[in-house]
Amino acid sequence: MKNRNNRLTSFIAVMLCVIMTVLTFTGCGKSGGGETSKKEFVYVPEYVQVEFEVNYIDTAVSIGDTIYLCGNSWNEDTGESKYYLYKYNAADGKVDTLSVEMGENDSLGRMAATPDGNLALIVFSSDYETDENGEITDYSQTMELRVISGEDGAVISSQDLSPVMGNEDSYVQQFCVDGKGNYYLFDGNQMLHVVGPELQKICDISVEGWINNLFTSKEGDVYMCSYGETGMEAKKIDLETKAVGAKLEGLVSGYGNQNYYAGLSKSILVSGDEVSLYDVAAAKQETLFSWLDADLNSNYIQYTGELSDGRIWAIYNDYSTSAQANTFELILLKKTKASEVAAKEEITYGALYLDWNVKQNIINFNKTNEKYRIVVKEYETDDWETGVTQFNADLTTGNCPDIIDLSSVNYTQYANKGVLVDLYPYMEKSGFNKADYLENILEAYEVDGKLYGIISQFYISTTMAKQSVVGDIQGWTLSEMLDFIETQNPDNVFPYGYRDSIFYYCIYNNIDEFIDWKTGKCSFDGSDFIRTLEFAANFPDSSETIAYSEEEGISARLRANKILLMQQSLGSVQEYQMMNGLFGEKISYVGFPNNEREGNLVQGSGGFLGISAKSKNKDAAWEFVSSMISEEYQQSLVAENGSGWGFPIKRSALEKMFEQDMTPEYYEDENGEQVEQMKTSWGYDDFNMDIYAATQEEVDEVRKLIESVHRMSGNVDQQLMNIITEESAAFFKGQKSAADTAAVIQNRIQIYVNENR
Amino acid sequence: MRFLKGKMPKSSPKIMRTKNKNLNKADKKRPKAGSNRRDRRGKRISILYLLPSVAGVLLFFVLPFMIVIYYSVIDNPISGQFVFFDNFIMVFQNAAFKQAARNTMMFSAVAVPLAVILSLLLAMMLESKIPFKSQFRTFFLSPMMVPIASVVLIWQVLFHYNGMMNEVLEWFGKGKIDWLNSGYAQVVIVVLFLWKNLGYNMILFMSALSSIPKDILEVAVLESASPFQIFWHIKLRYMSSTLLFVTIMSLINSFKVFREIYLLKGDYPYDTMYMLQHFMNNTFGKLDYQKMSAAAIMMAIVMVIIIGILFLTENYFGKDVEG
Repeated sequence: MKNRNNRLTSFIAVMLCVIMTVLTFTGCGKSGGGETSKKEFVYVPEYVQVEFEVNYIDTAVSIGDTIYLCGNSWNEDTGESKYYLYKYNAADGKVDTLSVEMGENDSLGRMAATPDGNLALIVFSSDYETDENGEITDYSQTMELRVISGEDGAVISSQDLSPVMGNEDSYVQQFCVDGKGNYYLFDGNQMLHVVGPELQKICDISVEGWINNLFTSKEGDVYMCSYGETGMEAKKIDLETKAVGAKLEGLVSGYGNQNYYAGLSKSILVSGDEVSLYDVAAAKQETLFSWLDADLNSNYIQYTGELSDGRIWAIYNDYSTSAQANTFELILLKKTKASEVAAKEEITYGALYLDWNVKQNIINFNKTNEKYRIVVKEYETDDWETGVTQFNADLTTGNCPDIIDLSSVNYTQYANKGVLVDLYPYMEKSGFNKADYLENILEAYEVDGKLYGIISQFYISTTMAKQSVVGDIQGWTLSEMLDFIETQNPDNVFPYGYRDSIFYYCIYNNIDEFIDWKTGKCSFDGSDFIRTLEFAANFPDSSETIAYSEEEGISARLRANKILLMQQSLGSVQEYQMMNGLFGEKISYVGFPNNEREGNLVQGSGGFLGISAKSKNKDAAWEFVSSMISEEYQQSLVAENGSGWGFPIKRSALEKMFEQDMTPEYYEDENGEQVEQMKTSWGYDDFNMDIYAATQEEVDEVRKLIESVHRMSGNVDQQLMNIITEESAAFFKGQKSAADTAAVIQNRIQIYVNENR
Repeated sequence: MRFLKGKMPKSSPKIMRTKNKNLNKADKKRPKAGSNRRDRRGKRISILYLLPSVAGVLLFFVLPFMIVIYYSVIDNPISGQFVFFDNFIMVFQNAAFKQAARNTMMFSAVAVPLAVILSLLLAMMLESKIPFKSQFRTFFLSPMMVPIASVVLIWQVLFHYNGMMNEVLEWFGKGKIDWLNSGYAQVVIVVLFLWKNLGYNMILFMSALSSIPKDILEVAVLESASPFQIFWHIKLRYMSSTLLFVTIMSLINSFKVFREIYLLKGDYPYDTMYMLQHFMNNTFGKLDYQKMSAAAIMMAIVMVIIIGILFLTENYFGKDVEG
């Protein structure tokens, strides 16, 4: 008996030891958080064939499995607009177009579903008269609540909302209907009006701030979404207490980038970057899918909803830059087993923040590429440093993404550490000729003659001054700049020149003037740096207000030499034209102060991509990266109206851009003659300018400016700048002398330099 | 110490240990049936009980140290090319590393002896019959209870350029001192270190002092030993293991002073406050794992040597009381 007890004790002891040992190891596995885990289900989009005859979709709702979309089309010839109400039955796939009776001056504001299956519309009617000059006089507007049949669109009732809204300036900004048929109208003036089905007043609820969303849940309760203490907060409108209730716990409400709809399976359907369902009773949110995983761009999702069979519907509104028109698609997304979808090899794209252009390119790549699929891994957190730390951890543990967005990280550091591969051999292998691209721009991103990251388009970050004042110069050193400013004695250097910003301007892109990386010696305690400190101290503190009169805007002050310089990023010929107009005379693009007098800097936009040296799919990664510099994509960056988001890096696309800028636009006057008309108009502070076709001389100047660029902007370790700004604060407050401040900066930065050599 | 030898009271640790040894010998002589089997079973069970701890040590200490050794001999964590001792040479020649090593050594050389001596003096003082003993003890222990972030905040208020210390100096007609951005910075850190650590060390010494056998002290007094003789020949020898422990703990804590400096001045403080852990922290942040690892190994070697010397010293001084 004793032996048996001993054995039992021994067995328990052994088991406990084993369990403890196993438990010790369980915490050490790879966490799923940092990985792109395979999902069991995916949502597959199905595009419904609907010939929309509208230019805009004003509003859309679903009642059960019926989706209603209301939009209008504008006839340019007749100047008339016509409303269309489309009714799509998801059960049988039938589309009906219902007639909507709208007057000549009527417009549709909002639409909501009523509990009895009809549609409540807010219709605005404007009334005005015009004088002999065509100017509008006696403008008035009325608001109407119109209930139409969900069956055939026939008007059931129509009621004037003016008595409800009271104030003439009130305007229905948000509208919805609860489960009992009560109407909720937010007037934009911090008042929510709640009325019964016959517009009998129930209550007026005062709300703080702006209501971003007003929506009804599956249960028929109404919620409002507005900015609160913890960002966006959704709160119930409580008719019993006639007040706004507590915020919904467990609902991730984002920062105003989400929309809310009544769910069918659960209380609320949330659509942001991801689609999720929220259960009010359980206070739990369940993510269904991300739009990106379904190859859809969340920026283009206009409306969405849930169907009874679990499918999600969405109105996808894609604005085509080249066509300059909206295209609409009704999409149904069906939950499907991942195993039933054609398998593709995954390559990861890592970014601290997903660029708008890159996002669209990823979607296009995933839609068209049959072999590979790009999976996005965002490191975005509230804290930038946390994101970088996580990214660095992934780099060193072999979890590194195949494609890395270098826009928000220290590019040179990663290039020097061997994190990235040289892209030149890939370009050569794929037949991309370096000479077809702006070589000086590529060279600006080279590290030791190798290209570790590539941009698709760029701006030129520069500083401008009047040529008559500064002379025809291409650049200057810091001391030359300070000499020049001191001789001019202006009111200020820049339109809004505070001492911190001026000091930062002098140092940020010029830090190498004070650090000799070869010898490891710093010269922050030298006369140039001390002079810069003393120079910056002459300007107002950021807490002070710089005198500004509306009569004397930036343009007037520049022309009167009251301010001397302007910092600007130029991304189009039209901006160049506008700046010439703003200054009123020829401009010298002197750029930032710099020892080599090369102060014009390239600033990438639309994604800055590199390929991980550890990637197992370098060729596939290059396939995507190269799509950003392909002829087709580069040409697509050139907007028809010339106001693009930067210059393309491919010469052919840049030339196309110049050609478009130089092509005049004409209209036919009353005599039938072709008269040149403005292409567009630009405004800057007190200055407005009509932009006509650029001259060859202007285009040549822009070309010359682009070719003068040899350095990239923003390639300074923020730690260095932190030391400088931290220590200079005491000097600017008058607590320390410039020499003492410079000595401390010298001391601290010297350690930084020693450490990094 | 001649008069002590052979006159140890029966309760002294040495006598007790001798008795135990004799007992063990007696046990071994007594033949017991199946004792070998029981021994083996006992060993097996003890190994099983030890397994979780051993696994933990292997996983959280030995394995990371192996990884550190690996990183120290490759060019960088991305490409992983073997470079043998290049990193050690590079780090050894690095001016920032040399500065950090010099500062750390200087700080430890000043702060550790001060922390040991002052806390011992405080413990002795609180041992004697003085009024407000308990209040003093609480006073010296209170820094341990204050969170480090608050400590740093207090220190910033005290030693800021416009802080309390400079106000006091101005009151005496002296000029302002930039305490945290000048040669005085290390003085501030030493004071902060002592303020934070004296209480803990003092408690350890007080406990060691109270465990010294009273009869030995009484005998010493009867034999007309002076207070210094009692302190030097009895108390210090009985406290040798505590002294070693406090010294090692203070040495370890002196390396941890980085935390306070980091909160005060960030990654790159004034050069006299730049410690080895700054170097390692910054190189880690810049993905220079190879530099960090080489520096860590060099630091570990120095630490092992210092602690080894301390053990040898303790063995030498405390041998007659420890047995």
